[in-house]
Amino acid sequence: MNETPLLRAERLGKVYPDGQVNALVEVTLSIRCGEYVALMGASGSGKSTLLNLLGALDRPTSGEVYFDNRPLSQIDDPDGFRSKKIGFVFQSFFLLPTLTALENVQIPMFEGSLGARQRAAKAADLLDLVGMKDRAGHRPGHLSVGQRQRVAVARALANDPVLLLADEPTGNLDSHSAAAVLDLFDHLHRDKGMTIVLVTHGQEVAERAERIVRLRDGRICADERRLAQAARQAAATS
Amino acid sequence: MRFHQFILKNVFQRKARSALTMLGVGIAVMAVVALVGIADGFERSFRELYERRGVDLLVVRAGSSEHLSSSVPQQVGKQIGKLPGVRAVSPGLMDVVSFEQANLTSVLLQGWTADSFLFDNLTILDGRRLRADDDAGVMLGTILARNLGKHAGEKLEIANGSFEIVGIYESFNPLENGSAVMLISSLQILMDRPNQVTGFQVVLDDAPDKRASIERVRHDINALRSPQGRPWGIAATPTRDYVRGTSQIRMAEAMAWMTSIIALIIGIVGVLNTMIMSVFERTREIGILRAIGWRKSRVVRLILYESLLLSVVGAVAGIGSAVLLTYALTWWPMVNGLIRGDVAPAVMIQGFFIALAVGLLGGAYPAYRGAHLLPTEALRHE
Repeated sequence: MNETPLLRAERLGKVYPDGQVNALVEVTLSIRCGEYVALMGASGSGKSTLLNLLGALDRPTSGEVYFDNRPLSQIDDPDGFRSKKIGFVFQSFFLLPTLTALENVQIPMFEGSLGARQRAAKAADLLDLVGMKDRAGHRPGHLSVGQRQRVAVARALANDPVLLLADEPTGNLDSHSAAAVLDLFDHLHRDKGMTIVLVTHGQEVAERAERIVRLRDGRICADERRLAQAARQAAATS
Repeated sequence: MRFHQFILKNVFQRKARSALTMLGVGIAVMAVVALVGIADGFERSFRELYERRGVDLLVVRAGSSEHLSSSVPQQVGKQIGKLPGVRAVSPGLMDVVSFEQANLTSVLLQGWTADSFLFDNLTILDGRRLRADDDAGVMLGTILARNLGKHAGEKLEIANGSFEIVGIYESFNPLENGSAVMLISSLQILMDRPNQVTGFQVVLDDAPDKRASIERVRHDINALRSPQGRPWGIAATPTRDYVRGTSQIRMAEAMAWMTSIIALIIGIVGVLNTMIMSVFERTREIGILRAIGWRKSRVVRLILYESLLLSVVGAVAGIGSAVLLTYALTWWPMVNGLIRGDVAPAVMIQGFFIALAVGLLGGAYPAYRGAHLLPTEALRHE
């Protein structure tokens, strides 16, 4: 694994003005390139807030996030940065209901330089990657929740991001669909070397990651590095 | 998928709301194009009356922008006719009468001399042309004859006078087709305006520099004096300037624009309402687009293009409706030739660009609001 930190959060704080809620307090965290990290905690522990700050979706009240040693606060075009570097997967999928799966996957590519045909071809490849090629022409309303989440993963990969951020990606899925999505994450991490940060409050989901960071009341209370799944499986069979 | 396909899907998959907005814009554009088109057509008809006959100058009472109230002694015509460069002069007296039984309230009645060159452009469809001894004779334009249900040889009561319809004519001009012509002497008696005319239509000789010729004759006419050496108080004006300055046309244009502005405000509010509701409904969707990396500028373009698309479709429907409406109005008896059946292409283009402005103005604030939504807040929106 590459030891260079891809993401570094330093003394990160976030206060929401409505109600003066301290969502994050002095959080310092470093995530290496190619690492698979699960952020765990109860509701209101600050894990989604931390994910939003790491993904440049929100700005911290204090502290700084560094991406490749570059402070996010000094990036001129955070939207363009997000588009190129980060893929997002949400608990509620957030697919556009009027578009087909193939079209949904193409939406992030509008900010890139690909032509219409190239976008469609790439979207088809990505749907193939997530096992959804045969459902490319279906709208989200005609897909199962598990299938929708796989389309959402394909959309997150549209611009070849180096970082995949997933907020409770299995929260709305049955166990079978959840396993399929997590298998997909394993594949992206193991075979594509993708850095993944995943928010969950499920222990079973978190155990798929090689590192579990636990939050409580906006602070990191535990940071547990684990063996990679492949190593765990090897250890179990030996 | 291309960006414009995404926009088309957004607009056409919200059928009811999009249709209502297009309808709102369409009605606003129809009002603008029809009203401005009618006012413009009125001006064109009026100008055509003179230009098609080669009239270079119109002479009326100085300072009179109200065509009908102008009053000039008829004898001035002889002086004008003797000026160098003047080929022909035709005195004209105009008044407006009503035919209550036919529900016609503003029928133009014109008085010409029997030898006037103004008759040359009329095609006699029934009966004959007025002669110098037709003191109780009148000619009707085709539209007026149709609206009155009259034919040549029949009697017609005009302002308590009884006249014989000697002929039915067709002019190149709808305004003239909705009017009646009698001898100027008859009209002077009927309206109790002895020896008075509304003005003179003056045709000049061909000249290499027509503009200079017009200017010279104009100066000469304005300088004419009565036998007592007093100025006549008349003003000669080039045809185009005269028509533009006519109070009825200015009023018609002002009314058209005032009504149009109200229609436009309604259109803008309609688009604004639709787009702001659309942005509100799609807060989460916009949040997703922003979260996955769409720049603010692309969100602005998305909303503005949707707004423009609604306006353009509305404009096309509105312009088409205005053309049909204007044509249909010419068949309404009360209109009686006051409205041309055609709308000038320039007015249609104007209507189209106004619709684009409606789309831009109506979409601007929603676009700004949509683009400045914070992704995290937008994603939390229920």
